[in-house]
Amino acid sequence: MTGVLQRQLRDFAVAALLAVAIASAAFVVVRNGDVVDAQLELAQRSAHAVASGQEALPTTHVALVGPSQSSTRHPILRHRDIRQLGEAADRHLDKLFYDAALRIDREHKGAFVEMLHDGTGRAIAATTRDHGPMIVVAVTDVAKPAPYPLLVMIGVLGLGALLAAAGALVGRAAARAGTLTGIATLAIPALLWHAWIAATAIILLAAATTILQRAELTDQFSSGMRRHRVALGFLAPVAVAMFVLVAVPFVIGIVLGFYDHHQGTWTYVGLQNFRDILGGGTGGLDDGTNFWFVLGVTVLWTGVNVFFHVTIGVALALVLSRSWLRGKGVFRMLLILPWAIPNYITALIWKGMFQGEYGAVNSLLHAAHLDGVSWFTSWSTAFSANVITNTWLGFPFMMVVALGALETIPKELYEAASVDGASAWQRFRHITLPHLRPALGPAVALGSIWTFNMFNVIFLVSGGKPGDTTNILVTDAYRWAFERGDKYGMAAAYATLIFLILRLLTILGSRLAREKEPA
Amino acid sequence: MNRAPRPAARLATYIALIVLVSIVLYPVMLVLKKAFEPGRAFALSASPLPHAVTLDHFRDLFGAKTGGGDFLFLRHLANSLVAALATTVVGVALSCTAAYALSRFRFPGRATGLQTFLVVQMFPATLLIMPLYVVLDKLHLLNSVLGLVLVYSTTAIPFCVWTLKGYFDTMPRELEEAARIDGASQWMIFRRIMLPLARPGIAVTALFSFMTAWNEFIMASTFMTDESKFTLPVLIQSSVGQFSADWGLFAAGAIVTSLPVMAAFYVLQRSIIGGLTAGAVKG
Repeated sequence: MTGVLQRQLRDFAVAALLAVAIASAAFVVVRNGDVVDAQLELAQRSAHAVASGQEALPTTHVALVGPSQSSTRHPILRHRDIRQLGEAADRHLDKLFYDAALRIDREHKGAFVEMLHDGTGRAIAATTRDHGPMIVVAVTDVAKPAPYPLLVMIGVLGLGALLAAAGALVGRAAARAGTLTGIATLAIPALLWHAWIAATAIILLAAATTILQRAELTDQFSSGMRRHRVALGFLAPVAVAMFVLVAVPFVIGIVLGFYDHHQGTWTYVGLQNFRDILGGGTGGLDDGTNFWFVLGVTVLWTGVNVFFHVTIGVALALVLSRSWLRGKGVFRMLLILPWAIPNYITALIWKGMFQGEYGAVNSLLHAAHLDGVSWFTSWSTAFSANVITNTWLGFPFMMVVALGALETIPKELYEAASVDGASAWQRFRHITLPHLRPALGPAVALGSIWTFNMFNVIFLVSGGKPGDTTNILVTDAYRWAFERGDKYGMAAAYATLIFLILRLLTILGSRLAREKEPA
Repeated sequence: MNRAPRPAARLATYIALIVLVSIVLYPVMLVLKKAFEPGRAFALSASPLPHAVTLDHFRDLFGAKTGGGDFLFLRHLANSLVAALATTVVGVALSCTAAYALSRFRFPGRATGLQTFLVVQMFPATLLIMPLYVVLDKLHLLNSVLGLVLVYSTTAIPFCVWTLKGYFDTMPRELEEAARIDGASQWMIFRRIMLPLARPGIAVTALFSFMTAWNEFIMASTFMTDESKFTLPVLIQSSVGQFSADWGLFAAGAIVTSLPVMAAFYVLQRSIIGGLTAGAVKG
């Protein structure tokens, strides 16, 4: 009997935890909604009261704002008379009053009311006065939201636990009924707050728990947890951190992709952002903000760079592995220097070298009696400048990986091949290359991902110039967020798409690698 | 390969190598030159040797002050140090147990967990920059080193877990088995035997995550807009910003900032390469 009771209460506790979380979230949403409604109404009523000649309402600050006039001392500057009503004038509010009056004049609407975008929960209302040119502006005090209904929650939790326990004591079918009703009890507060979605979710949770309990899945889950509790304990800190720091922002990013952001307000727009992006935007296929154009640049960028990294890296590795070469260590040390330098510094150095008619690169060209190039005014030269920079900083990785692989090739193989009369090319083709491939494969995969996302080089060297045409996907997403009028929703949708592309490529890549392995 | 080629071919090889080494060294020489040469403009000649020598740029770098009279460079250095150190401590401290569990225990969901860490570790944090910005803004953590530490931890934790797991994989299991026979609990085995033995691996992992945070640029430049909150990379980039470029200051700052991490890189290069390819092969 105690076993059944224990099991019943265990399942109730887990489900109740979830239900309380849902109910609390619903409470916060409903309460904030109520506060917003109340504040908006208060601000509006107070402004109208003053506009029609009555007193301002308590817990609001109201001011009469005069029309815009030229400042007497500086005629280009405009100013307005702001007269705050009530005894204690708060000068910090003057800017709010001024901006509200300005907005009334600009938008030619008689009145407006909205929440301030500073997160303080204050509402502002403005309206023109019935007589005269004055504009009435009212700002509410910071809202005092209702406290969390702790007693109500404890009460329903106790009631639910009692119902579940009673069901378990009666046994069998009653136990399941107890689970169902016990958890469903927790939906009561949500129903009281008219939070229908939360209430439905809790009732569904109750039903799901009952079904799982009946199929003995809760028992299995619990014994699994107990069996692996050491592993779970070891993993818990990272699991929590990853959830909070990675999973939550990731999900927020996906959700934001369905919203449009404009001056601090978010509007749900469904798939509009994705449609805009995949539709290519307003420009043609050669427009720098067209997704497909940027994707093309990114693919070209990745391909060209990885090609140079691998060919230069492997060629150098082959040279450095010659047995007769002196000073190998010194050459190797000097050649990996670009890898040691932080890449934002490398990018800035090269940007400086490409800049201007007399930059270092152009000076070298002049010294060789060639014409200087204005690197960032045409697409091909700007793209080349990026590629040169990234090749300079990227080849050492491939060189070092190839050197490592070459060291593992037994010398006897080459000797045997020479004895058999194999040519240099044949030795390379049939001995060196097969030994390089297993090490270079993963290195190329890694290098491709790095290059695909090489934000710093693009952002700092060409900066997208000329005219946003040399961006790659990651820098374009950044520009949508922070340089093209705070299009956060667009940027979030962009990031989601980049993630999908990368994920697809890595899945394809690892599948390809697995297919090749047995051969 | 067993027969040495003709002298002419050898000479050509040496010349080719020297040319490549010069291409590699040239930009570095220009920075060294600029750091000690007077003037704000970058190279006005292709020569990598300075025409005059001065320490002015270093004096400018260390001597710049805020409106309040504090030394700016020290501020930025402190911001960088605190952000990188805190990120390293958070990353390593949280990751050790998880890395050990992923290396030694078998439990349902292990494969999915490993896959998740691999993906998160490989993908760039810039993909999260938008949501992170919105979240930090809501929490009033923009322009705060704490906010930057949280952001850096999103990459540091998966990186540390993945690298340390690789290190634990290479450690022999005999010691643990012996300890288990002697009746030690799993936590005792980890705490008293594995953790002390893994110290070299932990040290290298810590240094990498420190270097990554120390060298991070775009997050810091997006989230830290107040000059007193800059980190060193943001300072260096802003010294050659769009409107006033002081390449002398840039060069001095670049040298001071990157010398320590470059030294660390040369000391640790073997482990860097081992760690990177180990992670990639298993993907």
